[in-house]
Amino acid sequence: MGDHRYQEYVEKDDAVIDGIDVSGAWNRMWVPREVTEYDFTFLDRVTDLSGGESMGWCYECAECIGVCPVDNVGSYGPRKLYRKLQIGLDLFDHPDLWLCTTCRNCLRVCPKEVDMMQIMPAVREQAILNGNVPGELQEMLQNVAEYGNPMGESARKRMRWLKKFDEPVRDLSKEPGEVDVLWYVSDYFSYHPRGIDAAKAMVRVFNRLGVDFGVLGRNERCDGDSQRLCGETGLFEELAEHNHALFEQNPHERLVVSDPHAYNAFKNEYPKLTGTEYNVQHYTQFLAEKTEQLAGMFTGEFPRKVTFHDPCYLGRHNGEYEAPRTLIEAVPGIDFVEMFRCKEQGYCCGGGGGGMWLDGLTADHTFERLSENRVREAVDVGAEVLAVCCPYEVSRFEDAVKSTDNDGKLEVLDIIEILDSCLGDD
Amino acid sequence: MSNNRIMVIGGGPAGLEAARGIVDLGYELVLVEQRDELGGTPISASYAALTPDMEDTETAMARMVDAVTNDSLADIRLGSTITAVEGTAPDLRITLVKGDSSEVVEVGAVVVATGFKHFDPGKETQRYGYYEYDDVITLVDAEKMLKAGKFIRPSTGEPPKQVCFIQCVGSRDRQLGNKWCSKVCCGIATKEAIEIRQLLPDCKVIVFYIDMRMYGFWEDQLYWKAQEEEKVAFIRGIVSEVTMRGDSVMVKGEDTTMGRPMEVLMDVVILSIGMEPSDGTIAMAEMFNLPLECHGWIETVGGALNTVQTPVDGVFVAGAAAGPADLEDSISMGGAAALKACAFVRRIQLPVVG
Repeated sequence: MGDHRYQEYVEKDDAVIDGIDVSGAWNRMWVPREVTEYDFTFLDRVTDLSGGESMGWCYECAECIGVCPVDNVGSYGPRKLYRKLQIGLDLFDHPDLWLCTTCRNCLRVCPKEVDMMQIMPAVREQAILNGNVPGELQEMLQNVAEYGNPMGESARKRMRWLKKFDEPVRDLSKEPGEVDVLWYVSDYFSYHPRGIDAAKAMVRVFNRLGVDFGVLGRNERCDGDSQRLCGETGLFEELAEHNHALFEQNPHERLVVSDPHAYNAFKNEYPKLTGTEYNVQHYTQFLAEKTEQLAGMFTGEFPRKVTFHDPCYLGRHNGEYEAPRTLIEAVPGIDFVEMFRCKEQGYCCGGGGGGMWLDGLTADHTFERLSENRVREAVDVGAEVLAVCCPYEVSRFEDAVKSTDNDGKLEVLDIIEILDSCLGDD
Repeated sequence: MSNNRIMVIGGGPAGLEAARGIVDLGYELVLVEQRDELGGTPISASYAALTPDMEDTETAMARMVDAVTNDSLADIRLGSTITAVEGTAPDLRITLVKGDSSEVVEVGAVVVATGFKHFDPGKETQRYGYYEYDDVITLVDAEKMLKAGKFIRPSTGEPPKQVCFIQCVGSRDRQLGNKWCSKVCCGIATKEAIEIRQLLPDCKVIVFYIDMRMYGFWEDQLYWKAQEEEKVAFIRGIVSEVTMRGDSVMVKGEDTTMGRPMEVLMDVVILSIGMEPSDGTIAMAEMFNLPLECHGWIETVGGALNTVQTPVDGVFVAGAAAGPADLEDSISMGGAAALKACAFVRRIQLPVVG
């Protein structure tokens, strides 16, 4: 008969009641097949929230499901969520609330403009107020609140990556003054070992190009965008206020960021709070303008087959697809190949909207990680290198390369690392 | 001269618009209506408001009636039926009977605008229980309540807490021989759903449908408005049967997008009944030898490009006598039929050239 189940059931693998072992099938409870009530309590509660209104606009065309990256690896998407809400799902206390990575692919295709980027933070904020937050996410939010970064590392250690690194970097917290480029380094470039590799590459590239840049040093804090999407509006506002004050205190021509999430925050979200427009660029945009200069400086080649993963927050959220490709194609010897799902259709790495800190919960509701699905695609197009330009991605994809048994077949590199490798020494 | 006189049969929206066109073009009009008042089904069936504009039916129809009755070229015959037709256009002699008296009227052309009748859900009584259960009603029954400004559960007189519509009752059904979509029921059900929600904000309103047919502007005027502003729920999957559970009616079907059986108690079930050719339409088709098209409505000759001309010279059709029609269709056809009828008698009068 195969595995088809005519009736869903729930059961606990391990259960002992009054000393009697009732594990597994002994405690099985059948979920009734019949829909016996249409309870709109929680649907109404969602649509009554500021930001939650459009959840009620779904007319079930299902275009979203066709592009939802989570549905590829599980069974989830805006239309399905809407239907569950119609039969009484309490989304405020349910794992489905935390599966959305806010990758924006659904909104791209939704004829009714059902906007998960508004709905998710609005509902999650209520869940947080009710104390219904997955533990792993709660830990991250506490870290950001206490230490200013998701890892829970001390702010004092934010510049530790510069130890034993003999490139000049102006730390504006120690040497204040005007700079052309204020480089917002971001959490993963500051603390994560593979992020630090990319941060160092960035410094070398900046210095080769003669960029007049400075960093905020120990004062820099998390941009807060992912925390905002997790529903932590208050925390986001605090971080925005903090970082905004630093931007004001440190005169600069432009703000250059390593992280598309920070780019989104500074470009689209901070101005709503501060009333200030920031002259912000993602580093690929900043460097793409200097492609000619870079091309004249390359001394080495990168003779490998490379594909590129569009970060959701650079691509779909902010429409930048060309800058990273301009840089990749400028690298001597590179053999660039697109994945099947690229640019607007790009697949999500799973890290956005809090997904970065929800791997445990997500694993319970999906058969593989989004990053694993993506890595398989990179291998399918014959790539030897998966190029990225979002600090969340290197670690996610490196883990996925291992777990999909592609170790040694696919290397994950930030674009800045590829550029750096071709510039050689001074 | 009889050739200058045109008869319109039926005083509903299509007939009234045809009549207005005829007098506006300066031709004599005889408007025949078997009921004792003009306004057609919207008035006789007590529609509360018209779809999709939601204008009060009496106000809207009075405007149409006044445009005709105040014209000196109009001869209006209420409570009258046609019992005999002799000759061919432009020399038709038509016998009108009113009460005990009869009269032969000579006309040059005719517009048949005899409309539709509501599908009788008794034909499906074993499935939806319209004649068995007080709380199973039709769109028309609901209109009557809404017109009176209240919506109650018939069995108790109390306001209902949970109401559903079942779409496509009597339409799109090979077993019934009604293969057509009745065109208006999705819009009317949605309009009524909005009205019920506005009247009873605590009442859940669900529309069970096969596919919502909200063409043109009805999409956002009605469908989106109902869903987004009034929180009417649209759930795909038609109800298979209605049974009683205690004092409540139970609708049973499949919630197709969940892929699960559905059994939900309702306080009121509203059957979205479709259209069938009216008795008058069938009678006039026989009287004027008008062929019926394959669904049983009056046939037209030009397909989509001529919606009002019948195969019989000088006899035109307008509105739902020619097939399911909404108000916009009916009004448009009324105008087109008036134009073609006037053109028909005018061409006859013109000298033959060459």
